Amino acid sequence: MTALLEVQGLHKHFGGVQAVNACSFTAEEGQITGLIGPNGAGKSTAIDLISGFKVPDTGRVRFEGKEVQGKPPHVISRMGLIRTFQSPREWPGLTVLENMILACFEPRRERFWRSLRGPSRAEQERADDRLLRARAILDEFGLLHLRNERAGNLSGGQKRLLEFGRIRMAAPRLVILDEPMGGVNPVLGERMATAVLAFVTTGTSVVIVEHNLPFIERVTDQVVVMAEGQVIAEGPFNQLRGNPAVVDAYLGEMPTYDDADA
Amino acid sequence: MIDYLVSVLTEGTIFAIMALGLNIIWGWSGDFDLAFYGYVALGAYMTLVLTIGPATSPTQYILGLTLPFPIAVAIAVISAMLLALVVGAIALRHLRGIYFSIVTLGAVYVLYVFAGQFVPLFNGYNGLSGLFDPMGDVLGLDFTSYPFFYLGLCVVVLVVVLVMVTRLSSSRFGLALRSLREDERAAAAFGRNIYAMKLKAYVIGAGIGGLGGALFAGYLSAFNPSAWSPVETIVLYAAILVGGRGSNRGVILGVAVMVMGLQEATRYLPEISSQPSYAPAFRLILTGIVLVLFIRFRPQGLLPERRMRDKDAAGKGGAAVAVESAITGPTLDTGAA
Repeated sequence: MTALLEVQGLHKHFGGVQAVNACSFTAEEGQITGLIGPNGAGKSTAIDLISGFKVPDTGRVRFEGKEVQGKPPHVISRMGLIRTFQSPREWPGLTVLENMILACFEPRRERFWRSLRGPSRAEQERADDRLLRARAILDEFGLLHLRNERAGNLSGGQKRLLEFGRIRMAAPRLVILDEPMGGVNPVLGERMATAVLAFVTTGTSVVIVEHNLPFIERVTDQVVVMAEGQVIAEGPFNQLRGNPAVVDAYLGEMPTYDDADA
Repeated sequence: MIDYLVSVLTEGTIFAIMALGLNIIWGWSGDFDLAFYGYVALGAYMTLVLTIGPATSPTQYILGLTLPFPIAVAIAVISAMLLALVVGAIALRHLRGIYFSIVTLGAVYVLYVFAGQFVPLFNGYNGLSGLFDPMGDVLGLDFTSYPFFYLGLCVVVLVVVLVMVTRLSSSRFGLALRSLREDERAAAAFGRNIYAMKLKAYVIGAGIGGLGGALFAGYLSAFNPSAWSPVETIVLYAAILVGGRGSNRGVILGVAVMVMGLQEATRYLPEISSQPSYAPAFRLILTGIVLVLFIRFRPQGLLPERRMRDKDAAGKGGAAVAVESAITGPTLDTGAA
């Protein structure tokens, strides 16, 4: 079986800085893959290259066996690979529910003539289903009472949850989460861990970039460690604890999930 | 008096059509387009050269046809859309914000100078004239009843445009365009082709602007470069901002306040014979003051863009959704579920 996402020899430089240097890793279907590494390791650039927001100098990205490197972001998104950003990027002037509904991309309905004529009966029915689904997901994330609120008025944590809600609405094959735990308190963190695990049960595999190691330990099946633009280790988190290269580059003193709770 | 009222209303109606077009570009899609009045001007010029007949020396202009007014208007709209396609294809490719605005400003100045200097195109700075009472003779109207007919025609066009943009606004197309305005990268991450959508909105908006220009030509019966100074664009922006950016009803109210209200109110200022230019200057100053006050105290405008409201009291599934919605209106109003 081929991997869902296969990254091979990805290179990207900015001026004299080699941001990503021969980066190769894979993410399997139905798994949560962590991508960790110190600041400046090239994780975010790697995400930009995979999701089409930046074009790699060289290297290959295969998603579901198809090469996607150099394709524009919307094309990659439509293939079923959606990414999030380090800071939540809600559509602030639109309501929470509108944010949810827009997470589903419907090429036919968004065409000019179709929009002028109004939705067909089938499309209307789909839209009704979608509305119910949006409400159910918002309820699950505790945002239902805020559904008519402008998304820009939400708190930072609520915006993170809304981001997750939008991913659930879009139901992509793979989601790449870029530091979803940034600035999130422990209680909300627990909720988000549950949400990440729920992605997999709803058919969305996950790649997650995160500095919060207890969180990574808790949710991931596989971890990819990057440093200075390269992948220096790959494997389950527990095995990497003892890997001297990893400890040297990043981990140092290793906290455990229990420590964080205490 | 009644003639005066009719002419004010006609002009206001035409400006409302233009403002609805600009609102698609700036209000929905979020691009501060300074070339907009170029599309209005092209609409006006094209209507004139397609209807007023061959040029007689010393005037010079292209085409010089005598097509029926409605056909000329249709061609004028298409011309404006083609021009917008070219300008938009260049300016929207990579540029946003102030950079986009500067390129569009450059584009409109190129057009302006070109239309002024290249006399064989639209008779240079002297402009075109001679479109008197379009369709008046076909319909057998005399010069006393004609202004009423033309006002009626403009109102009908405004209503058609309003119905169209209201449908678009509340459609998925309109909602997706607003997501570009709100956060482009997120929109791309969720599958939207930013460039294609923005270009579509730009061309549609410019087409409506061209339609406004065509009607303006029929109203003025003439057009020349001095009729499309950059100030005209600012007046349209002022109307949208005061009325409510993104809101169609707001834009029409904004035109009523800023174009008809403010401009006409200052028309009755006492004349100062030694300072003939003080009234127009005072009007602009007043426009500026009103703009500043709105930006400071009511940036959302008089009638803000309405968002979808999901009124299901129970909150979750099952119950019908009552929606008072400008945005997703009929699409959510299921009543059946």
